[in-house]
Amino acid sequence: MQTPEDHDAHEGTSDATPGGLPGERRPGEAVFAAILAVASIVLLWNAYGIAGFSALSSPGAIPMATTAVMAVTAVIVLVKTLRLPRTADETVSRDILPPVVIVMALMLVAYGILLRPLGFIPTSALFLVAAIKILSNRSWGFTLAVSLGSLVLIWLIFRIVFTVLMPAGIVPEAEFVQMLRDIVQGGSE
Amino acid sequence: MRNVVLGAVSALVMAAGAAVAQDYPTREIQGIIQWGAGGSTDTVMRSVTPHAEDALGGTVVMQNMTGAVGAIALNYVADADADGYTLLMGAENPMLYKVMGLGDRDYGDFIPINILARGTPILVTRPDAPFSDYAGMMAYIAENPGEVRFGSTGPGGLPSVVTAMMQTVEGELDVTFVPYDGDGPALTALQGGAIDVMPAVLGASIEGIRAGAMVPLAIFDTEASPFLPDTPIAPELNEGYATYLPWGPFFGVFVANGTPEEAVTALTEAYAAAVENQDFLDLMENRGFTVMNISGDEAQDFLSSWQSTTAWLLQDAGLAVNDPEGLGIPRPGE
Amino acid sequence: MDAFMSFLTVFTQPELLLLVGLGTFAGVYVGAIPGLSVTMAVSILISFTFSWDVYPAISLMIGIYMGGVYGGSRTAILLNIPGAPSAIATAMDGYPMAKRGEAGEAIGTTTVMSFFGGFIGIIVLALAAPLVSDFALRFQPRDYMLLAVLGILLVGSLSTGSLVKGIFAGAFGIALGAVGMDPLTFTPRFTFDLQILRPGISFIAVMIGMFGVSEALLQLHHVNAPAIRQQINRIVPSWGTVRKHLPLSLQTSTIGVIIGALPGTGGDIAALMAYDHAKRVTKNPEREFGDGAIEGLVAPETANNAAVGGAFIPMMTLGIPGDAVTAIMIGALFIHGLNPGPMLMIDRPDMFWFITGALVMANVFMLIFGLTGIKLFTKIVEMPRAVLIPLIMLLSIVGAYAVNNSITDVYWMLGFGVFGYFMRLYGFPLGPVILGVILSRLLDDNWRRAIISEREDLSRFFHGIFTSPLSLVLFLAVVFIFVSQTPIGGWLKRAIFGRAKP
Repeated sequence: MQTPEDHDAHEGTSDATPGGLPGERRPGEAVFAAILAVASIVLLWNAYGIAGFSALSSPGAIPMATTAVMAVTAVIVLVKTLRLPRTADETVSRDILPPVVIVMALMLVAYGILLRPLGFIPTSALFLVAAIKILSNRSWGFTLAVSLGSLVLIWLIFRIVFTVLMPAGIVPEAEFVQMLRDIVQGGSE
Repeated sequence: MRNVVLGAVSALVMAAGAAVAQDYPTREIQGIIQWGAGGSTDTVMRSVTPHAEDALGGTVVMQNMTGAVGAIALNYVADADADGYTLLMGAENPMLYKVMGLGDRDYGDFIPINILARGTPILVTRPDAPFSDYAGMMAYIAENPGEVRFGSTGPGGLPSVVTAMMQTVEGELDVTFVPYDGDGPALTALQGGAIDVMPAVLGASIEGIRAGAMVPLAIFDTEASPFLPDTPIAPELNEGYATYLPWGPFFGVFVANGTPEEAVTALTEAYAAAVENQDFLDLMENRGFTVMNISGDEAQDFLSSWQSTTAWLLQDAGLAVNDPEGLGIPRPGE
Repeated sequence: MDAFMSFLTVFTQPELLLLVGLGTFAGVYVGAIPGLSVTMAVSILISFTFSWDVYPAISLMIGIYMGGVYGGSRTAILLNIPGAPSAIATAMDGYPMAKRGEAGEAIGTTTVMSFFGGFIGIIVLALAAPLVSDFALRFQPRDYMLLAVLGILLVGSLSTGSLVKGIFAGAFGIALGAVGMDPLTFTPRFTFDLQILRPGISFIAVMIGMFGVSEALLQLHHVNAPAIRQQINRIVPSWGTVRKHLPLSLQTSTIGVIIGALPGTGGDIAALMAYDHAKRVTKNPEREFGDGAIEGLVAPETANNAAVGGAFIPMMTLGIPGDAVTAIMIGALFIHGLNPGPMLMIDRPDMFWFITGALVMANVFMLIFGLTGIKLFTKIVEMPRAVLIPLIMLLSIVGAYAVNNSITDVYWMLGFGVFGYFMRLYGFPLGPVILGVILSRLLDDNWRRAIISEREDLSRFFHGIFTSPLSLVLFLAVVFIFVSQTPIGGWLKRAIFGRAKP
């Protein structure tokens, strides 16, 4: 029987309590270490291509040094990981990539794809409503109130106060904001 | 209470009336600033635009969009709808993108709304340097090859153009170029003794000179500066400089080619009026910038002549990545 | 005497007082939301306060600055998501406390210590500004490089688990910082000829992804677990606690002021260095570092607020910005018709004293707003995770976009969120990645400047280090920390003393 506290201990909730199991290999850990090692070596090769060994002050000097460190440490990590026995009481679908994580990750990808064509407000509304509904399983009233309420708040802070121009997409946002502005300015005169 | 209601109603009526009477601007305008917050482009744009908003009767929301020497912002505005609702607020750098291999667009793809002002390059050194004037510096460089450290800000930046000018006029300079991110950090390094000489904009160094923390060697302009009447101008030191001067970095507001005539006219008038505002003129003078306030064909001519001078200077100094000839940039005077 | 009157300006004019208060209040929230930065807020204020007088405009900006630097700690403690880079170290001990229901105590200590650090920064600014700025100017490229190396050695104390994984993470961060067109030579680095990589990878996007999204994804594992009830009866730390940490906070404040005063380094590096320092000098913490040690909160929070006063030092004495925020304030002074530079102190001493006064006031307001309204803030963590997690994700997206108005940054943020998730699962620390990105340019640029200045000659380079007292001290510090932290240290000890102590 595992309590949530036990779970946290090897999940990496903070740098000070890093994830991983001491003395055992988690599912997928070897694959991750192998990917890092290969990627580091590719990067090292790429860094060599920046300027070779042309000069101490070349733009490639520090990148080569750092990617060399990456390659060496990644290989050490890989070797160490491979030597560890694979843990028996964890599975990928339960402890590494539970369905809920995959679903949310896919929703984030969908968000990224839809953001530009659809615009910030519709995309975010869809995302919040869907995510909160799936995760909380509460009534539609609760879901809609919470998600739309917080979306309006976020929009006001970022769009109006901080004038961050999120993609408008299908919403005629600029006209609406100008109208608001006209009303406020006209009213204050 | 009645007044508030009346105010709100009349505001609505006014807003509706304004929308009928005028077709531009009907919504807020985005101003994309090519450089980061706190830089000189940022300061200039944020201080001129409120005056332009007054003249225009609209809102310009300014955003900093940095990266790739301003190319990110330039491409963003070029790719946006050419409807006059996206302005590019930039500096001189895009005119060198083609030559320096940083992109295949420049202000040729834009209509200049206003070239606001131009900066004056100046050569400064630190007070404890082994020379205190231009001739002394040239002599010291000749006697101590490789010893003198010049600050630079990457190929295509103002220091690289000024040193290209010096190398063209005076012949090869055997000095060490130490690269910095901008003239601010380089001037700091100059005061700390990490470099010896820095080509900078007058505005950035004027306070340091006034305090005696930097010593001016030469002003790269055709006329002496009212701030530093005693500092020699470059053509006095070597006639060769006269060919290339006046030269300097500039700031401008642009819209993409294809923007409706009406929007271009409205913006041009608004910015022309804004530049004439006394507050802005004072600010420019304090920072040592020469106000230009040009638009239309005059601005186009200025841009192409600036580009040809600078591109060929860099080409002749061996700094250009692409040959200006191949890009269709004529040699100055041709 | 006139100067002293300017110091009192802000206290005697209710309007200015109100603006400082308003700014500080807004700053706390700006700082707390990842992606909203003080830099952004202050640059928007430039247009907003355009037609105002200089005093009110500066009052508002100073309030936001002070409050914002402090506000980053809030989300770091409550959600394990630092609101700003300077709060990364705060999360390491603050979040474990919140997980035990001690968020109130953590926030209280953080507030009082931020106030203390802020105060030390202001005192140094008021009394020793010219001295400190002279010292800061003396830093040569090689000194900045040594400072960066010193910073990179912090990897050792930031990665509690596997040191090898920590080193990998740090090197990865430095490499990340180098992606894109090299600003010094325009050489493309790690771009793989892709247009999208040319501008480089936004460091804030990496930070928000690694801390925000990856945290949210991890929390999905037990989305139905009940939220932790927070006790908020013990907010203000006892005098005994404050006194006990007085020596440490003085030391870490000093680190903060100096790092803050150096142009090119700011509160983020100061906070991490202070955390490392605390870990080194605290012999017997009540709780282990990383498990909710009070010292782990005291050090970074005193340092990053002390860095505020520090950043004003070169700005007021030389017209050189100490960080991004003071750079914008210099622009604001220009717009309001002043000429910031070495002459400002002589031409307009009133400005210097006015700013000092406003900073004092902002610091006091920070204490007030920091100690009140904690109940409301802790409600955030008591929200059901099913609501909190999607909101964190949306805020991360908006925040990443807001930094540079770029959708590409959103994609990076999401990508690093997923990558960070796996790093956490497999025991790779994330702090060193951010540390590496922060230090990447400092190290790379200054190494190149230093070696170019010595005409590519390593012997001249080392000659320079050994003949400058400042460089020598930094160099010895690097050697000392390196030897004491790595297995080489133990190996050397054995080699020299024959036998290692148990």
